[in-house]
Amino acid sequence: MAVESRSSSNFFELLGLPVQFDLDPSQIERAFFDRSKELHPDRFASAPAAERVVALSRSRALNDAYQTLKKPVGRAEYLLGRAGVTIGDNERLDPDMIMRVLELREELSDARAANDLAAVERLQAQMKQRRDQALRELGELFATDDPVGAKRVLITLRYIDRYLEECDAALDED
Amino acid sequence: MLLQISEPGQATIKEACKQRVVGIDLGTTNSLVAYVRDGSPVVIGDDPIVPSVVRYHGPDGKDVVVGRAAVGTEGALASVKRLIGRGMKDIASVRGLLPYELVGDDRSIKLKVGDKEISPVEVSAEILKSLKQRAEAALGGPIDGVVITVPAYFDDAQRQATRDAGRLAGLEVMRLMAEPTAAAVAYGLDRGGSGDGKRGVYAVFDLGGGTFDVSILKLVDGVFEVKATGGDSALGGDDLDRAIAGHVVPELTTLARADVTRLVVEARRVKEALTDHDGAEFVLLDGRTVRIDRARLREWAKPLLERCLKSCRRVLKDAELSRDQLDGVILVGGSTRSPVVREAVGEFFAKPPLSDLDPDQVVALGAAVQADVLGGGEQQVVLLDVVPLSLGVEMMGGIVEKLIHRNTTIPTGATQTFATYADNQTGFDIHVLQGERETAEACRSLARFTLRGVPPMIAGMARVEITFLVDADGLLKVMAKELTTGKEASIEVVPSYGLSDEEVERMLIESFEFAETDLALRNLLTERVEAERILAATRAAFAGDRVATEHLLDPEVRAAGIVAMQGLEGAMAGDDHLAIRAAIEHLDLATKPFAQARMNRAVEAQLRGLTLDEAESQMSAPPAAAGDR
Repeated sequence: MAVESRSSSNFFELLGLPVQFDLDPSQIERAFFDRSKELHPDRFASAPAAERVVALSRSRALNDAYQTLKKPVGRAEYLLGRAGVTIGDNERLDPDMIMRVLELREELSDARAANDLAAVERLQAQMKQRRDQALRELGELFATDDPVGAKRVLITLRYIDRYLEECDAALDED
Repeated sequence: MLLQISEPGQATIKEACKQRVVGIDLGTTNSLVAYVRDGSPVVIGDDPIVPSVVRYHGPDGKDVVVGRAAVGTEGALASVKRLIGRGMKDIASVRGLLPYELVGDDRSIKLKVGDKEISPVEVSAEILKSLKQRAEAALGGPIDGVVITVPAYFDDAQRQATRDAGRLAGLEVMRLMAEPTAAAVAYGLDRGGSGDGKRGVYAVFDLGGGTFDVSILKLVDGVFEVKATGGDSALGGDDLDRAIAGHVVPELTTLARADVTRLVVEARRVKEALTDHDGAEFVLLDGRTVRIDRARLREWAKPLLERCLKSCRRVLKDAELSRDQLDGVILVGGSTRSPVVREAVGEFFAKPPLSDLDPDQVVALGAAVQADVLGGGEQQVVLLDVVPLSLGVEMMGGIVEKLIHRNTTIPTGATQTFATYADNQTGFDIHVLQGERETAEACRSLARFTLRGVPPMIAGMARVEITFLVDADGLLKVMAKELTTGKEASIEVVPSYGLSDEEVERMLIESFEFAETDLALRNLLTERVEAERILAATRAAFAGDRVATEHLLDPEVRAAGIVAMQGLEGAMAGDDHLAIRAAIEHLDLATKPFAQARMNRAVEAQLRGLTLDEAESQMSAPPAAAGDR
């Protein structure tokens, strides 16, 4: 079946990219576009039915690979998954981080309650900075081959992203 | 050397061997057909615009007139695109505006013509047949294949119905293509000739008579990637006409239907007159006139344009782009002719919108290019389109687990494993949903099916793998498989009635407006399910200890546990997910000594009966997580 066949080859290979965290977004996009030109079902529009089915599943796998690898968090999770490190839905932060997140949450909900959009934007900017920092850290951890550290940062990133979603929701209220 | 000389306009030998393929823009108001001639797309016909109007007349309504000849005639059917792939419930909001009688139920609609009932698919097929004849006359032979465009927001049912109309018209539908994507293709190939210069990120702003679509596309060397798509389909030029009429005649809503129609038609005339003039006279029902200038129109259009721009902001966010990262804005749809619309779009994107291609023709031209690609032509274009709305399944507690997120490139697929919730559960209900909201109730139900024959096991042990597959036309197929027995069930999700455009758009808007409530609700439902599970497990363990020979439960721990359970039950009655979470953790803590004692005993029991190796390997095996995904 189409979906099972894709697990045999890895996403980096499929895109013709080196198996590493440190990749430039434009490099990934270029690889995806180049491969799409070869694999897209439209290229096989007049091929026999059997070939068209194969083309469809290859194209599907390619799109999945791109979707997974194009953003750093997805790429990191995929790399960890390959190394046997999985991140569950209820992973916990270390206590220090929990306190910090709770404090920032409170500030955000206060800002929302007061309808102080400037404060929300400030908190958002602050969290975005933290996010950039976490991504840099993630890069370093992959460079030094530290999956345990990378997992810790990824869990933190989940909290950061949830926080940023809440900031967006607050700013969207108009 | 042999020279081939062909007269201008006459097909070359190469073209004669090639398949005859065309692109069709099947619009709400107007339709067009185009094809690629000498490497460039052209529309067919001296007057290429065919009004999407059909009239059935003669004995038994057997004689059919399509296009301009049918416009304004008795019993003419217009705007059937609003009905295709819909049920009566879906079109409640536009029903009063359509000048013909409808019959049907939640799953289908028919138009009453005399004593005949005709489906929107049949009416659309008549329009397509007329376009087909036009194309055959121009290309000098039967048509081998077509690409038909659909609004980016069309769901499975609407796409399927459009495809059916094509088949009914005797056409081979090679592909359904999103309208904004088609427009971008037409522009992409128009810019910078062949080779260089054909790159950049474009927004396509498509304001038609009754729908608004906005897409962000990236174009690099013949690859068109849709980054994000969105819209607000209760919005269009028609709404502006009604707004104008309503401003000029405040008592509009109390007037008779025929008078309303006359005033709205007059409003449209005035709106169109203001495209080339600074002022125009609005003729009232009693013949008096009111002068309207462009400033007035601008003021009246403002609320509608603000809604368009809200969608634009959202789609930019989805694409993770800022306005200044766009290389251009493409205008599509007759309503974008209005200078008022152009000004607003230009101002928002901080650049003058591109309009060098006729906004009425651009979609058909792009469809022609895609038809040429699929028909084996020379154009090397690859289109990477997306799923417009997320697809998922309902989970325990009514929350939606999204398997495929909106704006994912198609074709695509996703597989996820779900565990049974109850002990000895033998059937697995699969409810397929489309939409952005977190709860099943708030999303559109696409299909339901049941996988039977799941072997009875403890809750969480039986696993069902669900696979979603979306093809290049955007159509979904769902498969389910029980993993221990390998038992399978599958379904092609072709809903007998689809999401209405209005519904899609409403759901999307609500998902943003209610993002916060949704998240809270999701958290609440998740915690309640978790609490339920823990309470049941604790009760079972307490009861088990009462009848066991060796009691592990300390009376103090029991008392504390019971208090904590009551606390949790209290928290569950409320709607604060954090309170439930706290009570769960409290119960965890209170019963920890008991849990540890049970664990120790279990380990001892295993160690007694097993070799060290076996015991170790059992202990290190991952626990069979109950109810995880």
